[in-house]
Amino acid sequence: MMEYYIKLKRTVRPVFRDRWVWSMAWRDARHNFSRLFLFAASLIAGITAVVALDSLNQTLQGDIDRNAKELLGADFAVSGDKKFGSELQALFDSTKLPQASEADMASMVLFKRSNESRLIRLVAVTEGFPFYGKIETLPVDAAAKLQGGRYAMLDASLATQFEVSSGDSIRLGNSVFAVAGVVEKIPGGGGVMSTFTPSVYIPLRELDSTGLVQYGSRVTYKRYFKTADDAGTKVLEESLGPVVKQRGYSFDTVQSRKEGLGEGFMSIYRFFSLLGFLALVLGCIGVASSVHIYAGEKREEVAVLRCIGSSGWQAFNIYFIQIFVLGVISSVIGSLLGIGITQVLPLLLKDLIPFEVGFTFSWSPLILGLLLGTLVSFLFSLLPLVAVRFVPPLTVLRAQSGTAQRRSKTQLVALALIGFFPLAFAAWQTRSWLTGTFFFLGLLGALLALTGVAMGLLWAVRRFFPTNAGFVLRHSLSSLFRPNNQTRVLLVTIGLGAFIISTLNVIQESMLSQVEFTGQENQSNTILFDIQREQRDGVIKLMEDHQLKVNQVVPIITCRLREVKGKTIESLTADTTKERSNWALTREYRITYRDTLTRSEELLKGEVQHKKAGKDSVWVTVSEDVAERLDITMGDSLVFDMQGVPMTVYLAGVRKIDWPKDPPNFIFVFPTGVLENAPQIYVTSTRITDRQQAGRFQQQLVQQYPNVSLIDLQLILGTINKLFSDLGLVIRFLALFSILTGLIVLAGAVINSKFVRKKENVLLRTIGARTRQITMITLIEYAWLGLFSALTGMILSLGGGWLLTRFFFEITFAFDWVELLLIGGGVVLLTMVIGWWNSRDVISAPPLQILRGEG
Amino acid sequence: MPNVVLRAENLTKTYRTASTSLTVLDDVSFTVEQGDSLAIIGPSGSGKTTLLGLCAGLDVATSGTISLMDFKLQAMSEDDRAYLRNQYVGFVFQNFQLLSTLTALENVMVPLELRGERNVAPKAKALLDRVGLSKRLNHYPSQLSGGEQQRVAIARAFMTDPKILFADEPTGNLDEENAKHVTSLIFGMNQEQNTTLVLVTHNLELAAMTQRVIKMRGGRMVV
Repeated sequence: MMEYYIKLKRTVRPVFRDRWVWSMAWRDARHNFSRLFLFAASLIAGITAVVALDSLNQTLQGDIDRNAKELLGADFAVSGDKKFGSELQALFDSTKLPQASEADMASMVLFKRSNESRLIRLVAVTEGFPFYGKIETLPVDAAAKLQGGRYAMLDASLATQFEVSSGDSIRLGNSVFAVAGVVEKIPGGGGVMSTFTPSVYIPLRELDSTGLVQYGSRVTYKRYFKTADDAGTKVLEESLGPVVKQRGYSFDTVQSRKEGLGEGFMSIYRFFSLLGFLALVLGCIGVASSVHIYAGEKREEVAVLRCIGSSGWQAFNIYFIQIFVLGVISSVIGSLLGIGITQVLPLLLKDLIPFEVGFTFSWSPLILGLLLGTLVSFLFSLLPLVAVRFVPPLTVLRAQSGTAQRRSKTQLVALALIGFFPLAFAAWQTRSWLTGTFFFLGLLGALLALTGVAMGLLWAVRRFFPTNAGFVLRHSLSSLFRPNNQTRVLLVTIGLGAFIISTLNVIQESMLSQVEFTGQENQSNTILFDIQREQRDGVIKLMEDHQLKVNQVVPIITCRLREVKGKTIESLTADTTKERSNWALTREYRITYRDTLTRSEELLKGEVQHKKAGKDSVWVTVSEDVAERLDITMGDSLVFDMQGVPMTVYLAGVRKIDWPKDPPNFIFVFPTGVLENAPQIYVTSTRITDRQQAGRFQQQLVQQYPNVSLIDLQLILGTINKLFSDLGLVIRFLALFSILTGLIVLAGAVINSKFVRKKENVLLRTIGARTRQITMITLIEYAWLGLFSALTGMILSLGGGWLLTRFFFEITFAFDWVELLLIGGGVVLLTMVIGWWNSRDVISAPPLQILRGEG
Repeated sequence: MPNVVLRAENLTKTYRTASTSLTVLDDVSFTVEQGDSLAIIGPSGSGKTTLLGLCAGLDVATSGTISLMDFKLQAMSEDDRAYLRNQYVGFVFQNFQLLSTLTALENVMVPLELRGERNVAPKAKALLDRVGLSKRLNHYPSQLSGGEQQRVAIARAFMTDPKILFADEPTGNLDEENAKHVTSLIFGMNQEQNTTLVLVTHNLELAAMTQRVIKMRGGRMVV
């Protein structure tokens, strides 16, 4: 007996010194590449998204830093909606710094050659501007030529639209200007705003000759300064800043412009980050689900290894090494792809940002991708792989043997880390624990909602299963519940992609519906403004001559506040203890008078504006937001400066205004019988349906009344549409990552369930099914999957879109069924194609070959 | 006095669910000595495979003790039992249980490689030659017939020079000709290496080739 008594001394080799584990990992992996495709592809998609967006952010931030001075064109700028008074002029002169001036306003331009006209932003500048950067023009000497006579330059988009080139003539107000050239790039210009209102540049000294600046014209005056250095800018900011602010002007420095722009991009970046974050989380879901399937498939092999003496950790290490190494490789591929995509994104964004985005290579996104990918493959494969440790060797004898242990310490730690990871990642990406937590909770909510809807749909299929339907239909529906089919994961991932695209569409439709009243009968689609009193009858006659119905003629009086609740504006702006908006105190107001509310107004508090007999007779109403800014309530007194004449009024009520609806709308509305004799201008509106008619009318209007401007709401609608299609392209591109991950999960699930499908198909063939029938079953199964995913995404997008439009954008919720159905149809089609493509060999392979293959 | 390689004393195995319990093995005791060959026979559900699993340390008995090579299995951890199997035990299964991603040669090499030994290929090749598969070294299981797969499994089982070989229906999935070939290999190599053999089978002819037969019924030993 002693012959066999050997003391059992098991040595535990660390994974790095266990050659057998490494060699087994390699041997086993050689034939598992297709099974690990899902894992690698999920990780690559997620990492690509994160790296692309992080790299884009770095590129944008870098470009903002590099272009900061050019974005303002100067070191310091003062701006306001009134001319600088003599006192301020003297103060500016006392700085003895190089200065340049600018005035800009909305105006009509008439192109002499084509006799066409358009609303533009007229920018009148003096010599010297910009101090930084260069105005790039075609021909190159256009900017230099501008100040040499009655010349004008046009934004490139405007020149292209109206086919204007240097040498042509344009008319601005009463003056005709020769076109010196086309502006390709100008410091401080470009970006989204130039899409809405392209600019025309003229010398400042020629502005008066146009006769455009009249009573009621809204002109923004600017003064640019160039300082010697940052310290000089600081001194200027400290000395001029408080003075100009007190007088109702604002100022801008390179730093504030940079911060403003940075904040703007931070919002975009946060949105992109959210999409990147979603793609990564989807990638994580893909990783976890693929490793789960992989570990499940390896149960028998693990049991064999356990039988011949492998320890649980050794078995675990074999598969962990495979996953980890592939994770590192996938991370490298994902990072490189992400950096590659960063070169494409600026092309998509080029119309939305006011400077050129170059490509800058940075190591940090690459390292980020590597670390993140490695961490994700570690964390999300740990939980499913740990189960391998507990595969009982008895499985070789009885396949149904349960795992020896349900939850190990490793699994609990992995669970905790998996829960913490998305939160930590979101916090890191947003650079804030609070925002990150919101991100995390939002995502959790969205995923839970998606899972809920997906489960609800699957429950409904089971509950209302069409038992009387044909075999093909029933079998394809039943296939959704096949073990390891990943139906729920697929519904969530593909559904999330459909959700993002559909939500975007719902928001776009809601925004467009705000201005789409232009499409309704009897609604105005053209607004004429800045009509002087003496021009009113003439303009109305002109409209009538063109058979245009005059829908309304609204009087406008410009004025400023002098006192609020008995305190002067000067004392109120000097009082820094109260948080009150200087903008609301010092701005120029455009008011009107009438005794009723319009369709876009709703009285929230008090009474409609009215006139009482005797003293304290004028009672006005104000918009909700300005009442809040001025801190005024019913009965409070206000003194307005009506072109030098003070007028005391009292607050009668507060109105809620739906600003985009039925313009023009006003902050302050006076009662009738008070301002009829005050200097005033008029706004009128009409509806023009015929483009040729519109062209003829505009042409005569500009020739006869050059200072009157015309807003074509259809043009604005077109511009909003273009903006959305540009922005939508970027968002769709990024949402594609989500869809892509969903489709990768789908492809992986198809690959992983191949054996089960083969068995089913062999059985079906054995009992007489034809290839056509099997193909139909497969296609219909994927059609169901696509349909339920699309439904999941769209049901949620209607809910999410409603919440966003109601509480974030504060606009009326609207959607287009046809477009949503098209998106849904696209998702279904894509799912069917991917599913069918991956199942081709399963469908067409003969039963005998399958039996051999399985042996 | 012959050496006892396997000793089972009052073995009982009960599976418990939330509401019921099912005893599949009830108070089974026996010993197996070095070089012995033992067959466990009985109808389906009689507890044969359960008994084999317990004896080989693949599962743990609810009560009773098993000594394998004088090691008390119930007192050992799963990883220690795995180590013990690697050192002293060989297996042959009804459904071959080859690693599908490894070639025939690699499948045979695995047990020794697991011990950390190097240059094990010559021995694996010799064993494959012994079972008549010297020309199939680099074939994967899916490229081999059932009989060939079982021969690879036999070669793998003898790779560690086991003291005891457990075989679960080794010919259950084979045709008559292959079954004969496999049977002769198992018994032949068993004799060559003086290995103890415990096999579970329905096949009475196969059982008759062993020195002892244990008959099971309803979880109890009836002979």
